[in-house]
Amino acid sequence: MTPVSPTELQPRMMKMIAELSIIKADLIRPEHRLREDLGMDSVSSLELISMLAEEFGLNITVEEASQVVTVDGALELARRHLTGPA
Amino acid sequence: MNAPSSPTDAGLHAALVAAVHAFASRSLHDLENDARGSLTAETLEELRQLGLFGLTLPTEYGGLGADLFLASRVVRTLAEFDRSVATTLGLHLGLGTRALVRYGSPQTQTEFLPRIASGDCIAAFATTEPQSGSDLSRLTTRLERDMHGALRLCGEKAYITNGSLAGLLTVTARTSGFEGVDKGLVMAVVPTGTRGVTRGPEEHKLGLRASSTTGFHFDDVDIQPHWLLNATTPGHEQLEHTLSWGRTMLSAGCIGTATAALKKARQHTALRVQFGRTLDQQPVVRGQLARCLGALHAMESMVAVTAQQPTDESLHRWSVSTKVFCSEQASHIVDTSVQLLGAGGYLERTGLPLLLRDLRVTRIFEGANDVLLTLAGTLEFKTPRAPMAVAPAAERVIELVRQHVTHLRKTLGVRVFLRPELLHRLGRCVVWRDAVIAMQQHGPSCAVQRIVIHEALSALRVALRDSLHPDDLAAILEDPT
Repeated sequence: MTPVSPTELQPRMMKMIAELSIIKADLIRPEHRLREDLGMDSVSSLELISMLAEEFGLNITVEEASQVVTVDGALELARRHLTGPA
Repeated sequence: MNAPSSPTDAGLHAALVAAVHAFASRSLHDLENDARGSLTAETLEELRQLGLFGLTLPTEYGGLGADLFLASRVVRTLAEFDRSVATTLGLHLGLGTRALVRYGSPQTQTEFLPRIASGDCIAAFATTEPQSGSDLSRLTTRLERDMHGALRLCGEKAYITNGSLAGLLTVTARTSGFEGVDKGLVMAVVPTGTRGVTRGPEEHKLGLRASSTTGFHFDDVDIQPHWLLNATTPGHEQLEHTLSWGRTMLSAGCIGTATAALKKARQHTALRVQFGRTLDQQPVVRGQLARCLGALHAMESMVAVTAQQPTDESLHRWSVSTKVFCSEQASHIVDTSVQLLGAGGYLERTGLPLLLRDLRVTRIFEGANDVLLTLAGTLEFKTPRAPMAVAPAAERVIELVRQHVTHLRKTLGVRVFLRPELLHRLGRCVVWRDAVIAMQQHGPSCAVQRIVIHEALSALRVALRDSLHPDDLAAILEDPT
């Protein structure tokens, strides 16, 4: 597990997405959909959430992971777990 | 002509299947077709005369309007006599035309379906590429709008069944999106005579040699806008539905191949005397035959249950389990049959080597089994199957899978997606669990069900045993000795 601040989260997540998809990290945008825009399938998009949970020590549930559609959605989910309940 | 809901329907179904059986037993010569490496013009003409190229097409376009259930019965019947013929027709009815029937506009259907229904135009499915098999995220064929507003298709497709026969291709491509069409995967129908479409040479294969396989090149092909299939349904959903049909019919073909092999094995073991008794009176052989009959019964149940699923989602999920189960169990049955025929089973003239060769690709076609097992595990992990009432013996199988999912959720949660080997193992459990459920749903309790439940419990125990840790695997694989 690597400590991370919410501001460091985005570039590190883009690197993870680039590992799993066919798109280079600098071309990935927050509004991109994991499936349609980045060519990820149902398994690799869950793998991304899994990588986030592992790397940043987040307790994301399967149901939360299943609802993520976009890069921004994944970022939001990770931020929410990093900062904890308001 | 859908799954029989009345005696009249059942009578029509039976009459059609009987006509197909009569044709196949009279006219199909699998060893000759295999040696020639193609189907005869007479065989294709008889399929046309029977109306089989239009079996699942709407009646308003000249088809018979049959559903997946009846189509599976027809493909199974053909496969008992020649798997290459069953593959040619099954591919045409499933992967080749399903997307057009389901998602094509009236204009597109009017343009193509009458000629397809009559068999004048045979269909194929062009999705796989040299660098993209089960991993569809790597597809590189592109459909884009050019500067003049025309749609252009560029790319290369490989291993296309029905390649040399095809007059129409259902093509999967990637697009960056244009007016009315979202970014991502799209499906379109493309006549093979269109300028820029080039067919590759015939491939030489291990099996299914009488079924054609070629590649295709698309060099800046001009695509008519109406050839694009319904853009309001995402391409990956269209593809999933089309593959569900394809997997179900492939599974039905596996029943036919396994039935043919087991028939030869039973005939031989009933006559062959060794050590003072016929083989089928010997306990070891009886056990092997019983296990094969159990597997065959489970295969039939799975295809019947899958072909009658009411929603795309449930059809998709069942088709994954059914394809893995049927292709693997058919392989086991044919291999056992070769063994039971002794040295004779090794001779081409018995027909068993051909069944073995023809069957091998079914564990690769339409999603390699290992990929599908991981997918089955993923789907179960995300959405565990709802509880259902089954016999107590079957309940044990269902409960083991449920406990395993609960354990994975509790111990790993979403981190399980970093352990595909665990999802693969879960998928193995799901496939056996679904076989048991299908048998419960499809027919009354019988002796062969008990065999399959016993097999399922054994398979689950093996699958749930601790496997090698990834670090240990790495040490083994990297050890130069």
